[in-house]
Amino acid sequence: MERYSRQVLFQPIGREGQEKLGRARVLLVGCGALGSVLAEILVRAGIGRLTLADRDYVDESNLQRQSLYTEADAREGLPKAVAAVRHLREINSAVEIVERIADVNALSVASLVQEQDLILDGTDNFETRYLLNDASLKWNIPWIYGACVGSYGLCLAFLPGLTACLRCVLQQLPPPGSSPTCDTSGVVGPIVHLVAALQAAEALKILTGNLRQVNRKVVTVDVWENRVATLDLSQLNRDGRCPACGQRRFEFLEGAHEGRTQALCGRNAVQIWRSSPRPVDFKPIAERLARLGPVQYNEFLLRAHVDNLEIALFRDGRGIIRGTQNSDEAQRIYAKYIGN
Amino acid sequence: MSIKVLFFASLADLTGMRETEVDSRAHTSVASIYTKFARDFPRLEEHRASLLYAVNSEFVQPDSPVHDGDEVAFFPPVSGG
Repeated sequence: MERYSRQVLFQPIGREGQEKLGRARVLLVGCGALGSVLAEILVRAGIGRLTLADRDYVDESNLQRQSLYTEADAREGLPKAVAAVRHLREINSAVEIVERIADVNALSVASLVQEQDLILDGTDNFETRYLLNDASLKWNIPWIYGACVGSYGLCLAFLPGLTACLRCVLQQLPPPGSSPTCDTSGVVGPIVHLVAALQAAEALKILTGNLRQVNRKVVTVDVWENRVATLDLSQLNRDGRCPACGQRRFEFLEGAHEGRTQALCGRNAVQIWRSSPRPVDFKPIAERLARLGPVQYNEFLLRAHVDNLEIALFRDGRGIIRGTQNSDEAQRIYAKYIGN
Repeated sequence: MSIKVLFFASLADLTGMRETEVDSRAHTSVASIYTKFARDFPRLEEHRASLLYAVNSEFVQPDSPVHDGDEVAFFPPVSGG
């Protein structure tokens, strides 16, 4: 326990809290900027198991704020889940860390949330957050929303049955494109660390059983405009009309995506799935695409540049086409260069 | 007879204002204050259905009443991470 002595000395955690942490199982969805900081804080704090799910790969433009990753990760084009797990194991080898190179969606979420004590939000879009909200309520697992863009961010913890849920607070999914994203408006490192630190503090409270200490307010911070504001949710009237926590209609869980593509909002990219996932052999594809432009691949991921677009292809056949937001174009490119 | 109005993040960018005041006699609800500004800054309409509304730092629904001396705040949720 020497390793955790300073945390054990902190009276609200103590030896008992540390033992609870050591048994805690946490699902982190998204390991970009917030996810990097969250994963590091929790792994250093000595949780029992971290399941880390991410669908993306490390890019040079991530390094300014995504604190787990290095230039070598970007050069190798490693999936974030793989790179993160490597670094986290060096930080604390006693924590069980499970890597999932996967998109968290209505099909995959059920298996990911089983036997978890907490869901941490490191995602970059509202749709996945509404899905996590449904999963949290259905399987009675707390989750902690955090998000930031520019110099502004917010954090809020949701405890099923004890607090309002995301849909009580934000009844409608903001229309795609209506709000700025890190890819359209930028983001500065400090707000990432601040929001993730707020989330991680709530996580430690929940995992050590200090539920009464959990902040029931939305905390908003703007590190450039020098504004900190909170919104008290305790008077929010939970009258049972909320479709998610009141009526237990889990529309986002039920909406298993039927489509084969999804525009990654604000990222100028489209994600595309195969109708039946099966392992892909990168070698022949790389040889074919090398005639058209630069190609690199490793055991997890192939990246190729064709027609001013970048194709990233994962082992299970999932692709991310960067340089377009048009689903039809992405499907055409995928069919043309990867095949069906 | 005034109500203080605060705009945060992208809403402050859209309106060019972080903080302003409205006449409390002209407004009965949080939504009516928002509507007043949306007339001057039509892009505010896009955000109306997915905002966090507060009166005196307390989360409220848009139809909540407002009174002289209140502080009304509009927060956009964001999605980056």
